[in-house]
Amino acid sequence: MAASVHVCNTLEEKLTILADAAKYDVACTSSGSDRRGKKGSLGNAFSAGICHSFASDGRCISILKILLSNECIYDCKYCLNRRSNDHPRATFTPEEVCTLTVEFYKRNYIEGLFLSSGIVKNPAYTMEQMYRALYLLRTQYHFRGYIHVKTIPGADPEIIERTGYLADRMSTNVELPTREGLETLAPGKTHQKILAPLRQIQSGIGQHRLSQGKSPRLERHQINAHLPGNIFERAQALELEEKSARAMAIMPSSEASFVPAGQSTQMIVGATRENDYQLLMTSQALYQRFDLKRVFYSAYVPLNEDALLPEKDTPVPLLREHRLYQADWLLRYYGFSAEELLSPEKPNFNVLLDPKCDWALRHLEIFPVEVNKASYDLLLKVPGIGVKSAMRIVKARRSGTLDFDGLKRIGVVLKRAKYFITCKGKMMYHIPIEEDFLTRQLTGEDARTTWEMGHPQTYRQLSLFDDMQLVAPPTVEDTKKTLQGQL
Amino acid sequence: MVIFTCADDFEAMLTCIYDAWAARLGHHNIRLALEPVEEMELFASYRSIPADPAKAEKVAASIKKKISPAAFRMVYGAALHESREKLDAIYRFLVYGFHFGAKVLDMLGEPVVSKVFSLQRKVQNETHFFREFTRFSLVPPQIYFAQIEPKCQVLPLLAPHFVDRMPSEYWIIADKRRRVAAVHPKDEEFYLTSLTDEELTQMEAAREGADPFVSLWKSFFAAIGIEQRRNARCQRNMLPLWYRKHMTEFQ
Ligand code: SF4
Repeated sequence: MAASVHVCNTLEEKLTILADAAKYDVACTSSGSDRRGKKGSLGNAFSAGICHSFASDGRCISILKILLSNECIYDCKYCLNRRSNDHPRATFTPEEVCTLTVEFYKRNYIEGLFLSSGIVKNPAYTMEQMYRALYLLRTQYHFRGYIHVKTIPGADPEIIERTGYLADRMSTNVELPTREGLETLAPGKTHQKILAPLRQIQSGIGQHRLSQGKSPRLERHQINAHLPGNIFERAQALELEEKSARAMAIMPSSEASFVPAGQSTQMIVGATRENDYQLLMTSQALYQRFDLKRVFYSAYVPLNEDALLPEKDTPVPLLREHRLYQADWLLRYYGFSAEELLSPEKPNFNVLLDPKCDWALRHLEIFPVEVNKASYDLLLKVPGIGVKSAMRIVKARRSGTLDFDGLKRIGVVLKRAKYFITCKGKMMYHIPIEEDFLTRQLTGEDARTTWEMGHPQTYRQLSLFDDMQLVAPPTVEDTKKTLQGQL
Repeated sequence: MVIFTCADDFEAMLTCIYDAWAARLGHHNIRLALEPVEEMELFASYRSIPADPAKAEKVAASIKKKISPAAFRMVYGAALHESREKLDAIYRFLVYGFHFGAKVLDMLGEPVVSKVFSLQRKVQNETHFFREFTRFSLVPPQIYFAQIEPKCQVLPLLAPHFVDRMPSEYWIIADKRRRVAAVHPKDEEFYLTSLTDEELTQMEAAREGADPFVSLWKSFFAAIGIEQRRNARCQRNMLPLWYRKHMTEFQ
């Protein structure tokens, strides 16, 4: 049962426990806020974000990612901190959080703080403590660096709002894309409870933006202005609730801003049976309905034994996570929608091809595309042509017709694009635009990276597969999918 | 062939450009080089140019006025590069610049332009690396001290970044390769100064074991990686080994 043995931890012991407990959260960025420093204060914020180190798993370390406490009254099956685990516990005081943040910041270890927490006593109490840490950090420690804080669903909306005036970014983890998934694995959580703070913060951001004469919705990448039918265009208009007099009184000063770096969420990939289509449709809905800045995906690392969970030796679905990030990118920068990439009939990403190649192979009727004529949004649909390359093409062809050498000179990589484009009516090689042929070409080129993505520890095995002329299957489970799919 | 030479210092380089231009020998008949000159040529004559603030100021002003302030920033960035050829490259770029004006910055197809562009981009990139990876540690009583060994001379571009974020702390960043330090007293502007070996050794000794947060940071760093996702190769791609030399978490 609950291991509530309280040890008097040193700061270092606490830090080890509470960083260890926070590491599965993927919110790692420090981007989205721009703030100059100020005499007498410490810190600024850099809108592109700054990475300060790379951990042993190759992930960027940008902010001090910790839990306030890993005590928890809940028992979510997938979580190491669940009540029923016998596990060392620790809780920071708000002052300890402040000390670590400013001292680490002064040594240039970090850009700021990411603070989450297990639920100590109750949601209201937990959120109070987190608010307290942020309040001290901003007012007594004069910290102007980046702060990302989790909301605790079920906490009092007033304390959430107060916190929003201190943080750069807030997030609430959706965790699992379907109601059923959440109910089985996270007793005590409901989508309704999780969506309430998302809605509240969205409305807060909108109000604040309106008061500054901006549109209530976040600015998206300017690219989207050139992409008819992009997912943000179809977003529902935000209904702003009337701001109550009480809420107005909370605003600490006229120059305070409310969650300027926007809000984000995270979903676990591979703990439940939901497919990629369900995940991506949920992401799209979250972007459209809650105007989220980012959705993060976290490949499930099996930590607990439970009949409802994958076995403990199940490989971490890194490749699947990677495909979801690629697809998420396509939604936000390339004008794709979730329904174009996946469907109930084809609910999972192709493990061997990135989602854009996969889409192109299913739409061969629009290829090849003539680079000297194609519209910007059509160029973006060509595998291998990214936002920058498409822009360069559009610029360069104003002053003359482009050929393949010209494309290379302006930095367009032809590795994949060559199968899908013509210059002055000619393709680079005389090859058939035919699905099986192209699939083999493209998977052959991608096999190595695909395999390494799925197997960071064992990538050397690749040579074996190379010798035998096999295309390495990333995981057993994924092979099955591929066989049933189009390969 | 006349070769104008000067010290590896921005003011001296601008002066050298001024004198080389004013000599009116024809751009093809001259070259500019940094001292010490590495391989002397038999049939060239060398003229060493000492820095002259007034001449340097004139060159700076005309780059800003006749080309553009952006071109000046580019020249300044390129001048911080470790390359020995940068001075001549900047001169050739300015010949184009004074001819074409502001639009020279768009002429990346011209080797003369792209050369200076890539020199300064390298410097910018390296500066950014050090925004990320510079590590301070506390030297009693209350000085934050960092050591770096950049390839290019990044300090003049790097220091303003830390001035903005730590305006009210006393800190020093030492470029160990060049024996130069950016010194920032609390609530004041920073300045560059040269460092002696003794000073450097003294600072290194003083910080040894003095900062209690070093071990806290190492604990955090060790705890934050996910074992099941361990990926040393990816870590190495993102953070090449030679940058790790002065990083607390790798010591
Ligand atoms: S509420 Fe959060 S910390 Fe608690 S068990 Fe669930 S996921 Fe873990």
